[in-house]
Amino acid sequence: MSAPVEVVLSADSAGQLFNCAVFDPHSGSEFLSYRGGNTSSRSLTVLNGEYILGAQLGKNFINVWEIQRKDQLQQKIVCPGIVTCLCASPDGLYVLAGIAEAIYLWEMSTGNLLAILSRHYQDVSCIRFTDDSSHFVSGGKDNLALIWNLSSVVQLDSSRTPEPCHILSRHSLPITDIHCGLMGPQARVATASLDQTVKVWEVSSGEMLLSVLFDVGIMSVTFDPCEYFLFCGGSDGNIFQVSLCSTSLSRDKTFQTDSDGNQVFKGHRNLVTCLSVSMDGTLLLSGSNDETVRMWDVQSKQCIWSINHKGHVTNAVIIPAPANMFLADSHPAVPLPRFSRHLNPSEQGDGTGSGGMCLRLGASTQHFGLKTTDFKPLKCNRQQKRTHFACF
Amino acid sequence: MKTKKQKRQGDFQKIQLKVGKKKPKADNATNVNFRSKAIHLPEQLKHADSGPTTHRQLDIKDLLSKLHHINSNIKQGALVGLRELLSAQPTLIELHASAVLSEVAALFTDKDGSVRAAAVRLLRFIAQCISAERVAPFFPLLSAHLTCAMTHISEAIQEDALRVLDVLLEHYPGLLSQRHTVLLTNFLELISQKRKAGTGQDKSGKGGFALTISTNRSVTAQQWRLTVLLRLGSFLQAVVEERPLEEGVTSMIGLGMWAGEKGSVTSVDVSWEEHVFGKGRIQVFENSGAVPTPHSTYRLRYAVAGMNKELCSAETVQGFAGTLVPLMLEIWVEAAGGDRVQTDSGHLLSAEAMALMFQILTILQLLRRLTPQRDQQDILDAWFRNSYLTDFKHHFMKNFPYGLLEVARHRKKCFGISTGTVAGGNVEPLALNVTLCQVMVTLSLRGQDHVEAEDADWLGTIRVFIRETLSNGGKLSSKHLAALLEVVWRMIVTQRSRVVTDDLLQAVYVQYQQRNLAVSVRTLLLHFFSQLYIQEHQNHPHIARSRILARWLASLPVQLVQLCSRNPQLSAQLLETIHPAAARGNKDLLQSLQKNACSIYDPQEGSVVVLPVESQKRLVQILHFLPTFPAELLACLSQVCNTGRVSASLATMLIRTIHLRSPLSGWSSSSQDVPVKDVDYLSFFFTTLTGFSSEMLQALQDTDEDGLMPSSTLSPLSVFTTTLEQFLHHWDVVEVCHCLDTLGSRAQCFDVIQNAIIKNLCGLVVVPDCVCAAILRCVPRLLDVNFLPSDTLLHFLSDCCLSMLSLLLQLEQSARKRDAVWEACFAAMSTVPRLLRLVLQSLHVGDLCEEELPVLAQILSLLLQHTQLRNHMMANASLLQHIIQDLTVKTHIRLHFKLCFNR
Repeated sequence: MSAPVEVVLSADSAGQLFNCAVFDPHSGSEFLSYRGGNTSSRSLTVLNGEYILGAQLGKNFINVWEIQRKDQLQQKIVCPGIVTCLCASPDGLYVLAGIAEAIYLWEMSTGNLLAILSRHYQDVSCIRFTDDSSHFVSGGKDNLALIWNLSSVVQLDSSRTPEPCHILSRHSLPITDIHCGLMGPQARVATASLDQTVKVWEVSSGEMLLSVLFDVGIMSVTFDPCEYFLFCGGSDGNIFQVSLCSTSLSRDKTFQTDSDGNQVFKGHRNLVTCLSVSMDGTLLLSGSNDETVRMWDVQSKQCIWSINHKGHVTNAVIIPAPANMFLADSHPAVPLPRFSRHLNPSEQGDGTGSGGMCLRLGASTQHFGLKTTDFKPLKCNRQQKRTHFACF
Repeated sequence: MKTKKQKRQGDFQKIQLKVGKKKPKADNATNVNFRSKAIHLPEQLKHADSGPTTHRQLDIKDLLSKLHHINSNIKQGALVGLRELLSAQPTLIELHASAVLSEVAALFTDKDGSVRAAAVRLLRFIAQCISAERVAPFFPLLSAHLTCAMTHISEAIQEDALRVLDVLLEHYPGLLSQRHTVLLTNFLELISQKRKAGTGQDKSGKGGFALTISTNRSVTAQQWRLTVLLRLGSFLQAVVEERPLEEGVTSMIGLGMWAGEKGSVTSVDVSWEEHVFGKGRIQVFENSGAVPTPHSTYRLRYAVAGMNKELCSAETVQGFAGTLVPLMLEIWVEAAGGDRVQTDSGHLLSAEAMALMFQILTILQLLRRLTPQRDQQDILDAWFRNSYLTDFKHHFMKNFPYGLLEVARHRKKCFGISTGTVAGGNVEPLALNVTLCQVMVTLSLRGQDHVEAEDADWLGTIRVFIRETLSNGGKLSSKHLAALLEVVWRMIVTQRSRVVTDDLLQAVYVQYQQRNLAVSVRTLLLHFFSQLYIQEHQNHPHIARSRILARWLASLPVQLVQLCSRNPQLSAQLLETIHPAAARGNKDLLQSLQKNACSIYDPQEGSVVVLPVESQKRLVQILHFLPTFPAELLACLSQVCNTGRVSASLATMLIRTIHLRSPLSGWSSSSQDVPVKDVDYLSFFFTTLTGFSSEMLQALQDTDEDGLMPSSTLSPLSVFTTTLEQFLHHWDVVEVCHCLDTLGSRAQCFDVIQNAIIKNLCGLVVVPDCVCAAILRCVPRLLDVNFLPSDTLLHFLSDCCLSMLSLLLQLEQSARKRDAVWEACFAAMSTVPRLLRLVLQSLHVGDLCEEELPVLAQILSLLLQHTQLRNHMMANASLLQHIIQDLTVKTHIRLHFKLCFNR
């Protein structure tokens, strides 16, 4: 069996059969499952392709599995409070956790707690990184979404409290989900909220670009990789597809106007809590409180397969298959350090290995930011980006 | 030879003049026997064939040429004529703008006062007619002449130049503000002169200018300075206001800071329905990718800001202020001490001195605002502090709360006429004092402790003044109040002390609590508090902990209730604070909100029904943050949903909100607190579903209104027909019974609903039609396949169904209602086959009277016509046959039914 390119990772709140499991995106057959505990919503994340981290529902620790050792719970990271959301940076250097109204930032190489950001007034419901790990966006039940620059948060001297670079305050009810597009600091972010709107923002300026008002509260949101479509999971079980670039060509297509059924994925019977699109933009994964995970064909809007879980689906995501996942005898390149529970500025400011790591990241993201200013009018050009990454 | 000689004699004959004889006239003598008279041609005789003319028949060319005349009377006449001509023919202005403007501008420096006055009048008239864009090309010329006049050696011309400046400031502030480089020095030179290099070196601290006093002006030196400073003030104002807004522009603690964020990107707003039906086409990339947004931190190049850019940086402002401020200090000293030497009444000023001081302070304020960027402003503040704090403290604060000298007030009457033209209006002492506070607090620094102690003395004086002004019970105009609030804001933010904060906020709160405030003042105060809470709350723990702010927040829901529907704007503003505060989980507010929830959400006169739609929406959203929902609140909310005073979509939103808050919905992750008890939740749903409270239903049983359809064999229930509006509203609201569908255990949920229906509805004789429809619609959706509904319920449902079917046949008024009723009956009968059977069983043909037979026939045909129902009908074929037989026996219309059945 050749290793699949992408896999589906999902978890539910019951945790009877497994905590989380890996499925084939095309057939829905189960590859692997990881046992022990259950995972709360928006808190399952893959770190560096080597570990799976999932916050225990209603408890104050994070479960960790090595990605190839499926049956064995490897470690528990004890946190200062109940973890409401969790996210690892795509480059695998940092982990963010929302604990009550504060955001905790750990450095993976040392396990140091680098910062506690308490700018939210109520529980943080979702955290997402941009694809280059330069920024992250946090959304809370206080209706606010904050865009943070990672390097400014990390490199700060202890005298000043870190400030978000933008405060997105135009939602009027709690934010339920956030999705970051591609393109690093030039990305667009979509936020979903119970106030029945989905809003699209620009990371670089914090300006709102689009607001779509629905009939129901929206529980989850995602883009396809090209950002042609916005998928919004409603609290009534429907998934709405919003076309973001209706070209002028549509004038020629008046005869096949999009009727209602044409832009809605119907099938779920309860809140759609998670959405994810595959790399090629043809498959849409959705998880719902009706205890099913469904895979949809985006083009025809049909359900391809569905898996029944034993509880509310808390996490469902399509990820590129990590290399280690199917090699039973592989080992993580870096051992997981002990996560410190307290902020320790003296240790952090030493300028030891950890300091060096921070600096390098800061410099590289800065560099990337500068580059993008030159290419401002260009649309997303992934080739460009790859060359930049290569030169770091 | 001889002949030649004779000839010569003949030519030059000498005439002998003799005494006593008259002298003969010379040949070439001029006859002066005529009289001459001058001919004036004030008007032409020809009649307008070459264009419009004045009443003297002069056309524009004549007039323009006369402007060059040496005689000042003619020049003045021409100016008057021009004004007449142009006001009669406004189109001419556009045509001859260049010629007229250049000629008029040249007269700014005319020797004769009356000509200049006429020129200014003409300029004022022209300025009213031409827009700034059209003047822009000629503006360099105008401003050159203006500069020329301002720097003229003749003082009268200088004075009149200020009039020209007034006109230009009034009409073209934007254009004028671009010329600041030249004009600012001109202003300086009007009241001062450059020191010679040698003397300048001596007093290097005082800048290179010294005040001038000229004795031969028509006004006193003070008055002259006041006029100049007035113009300078309004000019700087123009510069500040006309600057194109750029990123990060904050007018610091001004009201502009409170205005909130203003995005320059126009975001696309669409609603899902529009999008689906192809109306709201979205083109997101147009808004971001192709055109760089001005607010983006990434930009290709900085926009060409023209000359304005020079005055944005702190250095340029410093350069100018370095010369101006010493001059102004000198003027201040002269104004303060010049006319009154005694120290005990130093705080009492004459009206003129006060106006002068007010101008000085205004200009100082404007100087600060010249730099738009926050960081530049901080640099400038620091510079002002370093260079001038001691001076300012010494001069400004010495006699700080200034008052008007009583003597001056007595003489004001006779003074008024002579100084009226010069003085910058009457300046109230309050305005002066407030402006002084504004200037001084900008010098106070943030944070550092040692500085705080340094500043304590003068800041203390200011604090006392502010506290007294605010809390002495007097009514303040909104302008003064705005300035005072600015000062308060700044002091709270910079001083970081809880004592100061509470002290000042208390004073503002006293003002806020006054009754009968003007709406603008009330709004201002409200705005101040709400912005203080929303913006500074996070960064400043001393503000967050302020008891006054907490008390204010807690009073908001009460105010909302009291305000009722009297002032929707004010209510909206209250909600603008309540909403974010609730979202941030502010304890004081939430407690108060909880306490007043029942009055706010009262179905009769609560805010939620009386306010406009936008506010209603906010109120519904605020529900999301309410800590708990007691039963009585839920009862109120259910009535709010059903009375029709909030729209159906909003009612739906309300129901969904409550659904989400209930632990049954399975959304809220934290399960420590239970905001909605399950029992309350279900009863809320049932009440909303029914749409009528049990009392209302009970009352209905005894009425005999028109809307009542009596019960009969075909309609076992007596149906109360509700109005179309009410029916449709309820129909839309019932749509949300979908929420119940998603609850954990469907069987249990249905059991609860079934019991509720049996207990509350089954005994009724009179039932409103909307209740029937809602029940029929909801039951099949909630029914689980494996669950067997009880007989009582089914019998009630079949009664409902039959009654509805017969109602359906009588409905002609609305297609929508008919559709809705049919949809409900159809859904119930197709999902619950037993129901259909019961309905058929209850059709006893024998009991029917003659008139009812056609109705029955119609019902049957209706049921038979529908494809989806046909299968179920087939299952009941024998029963059906039986009915039809009875029917045919009774009526002999077998043929008709055969047809129907075969179709």
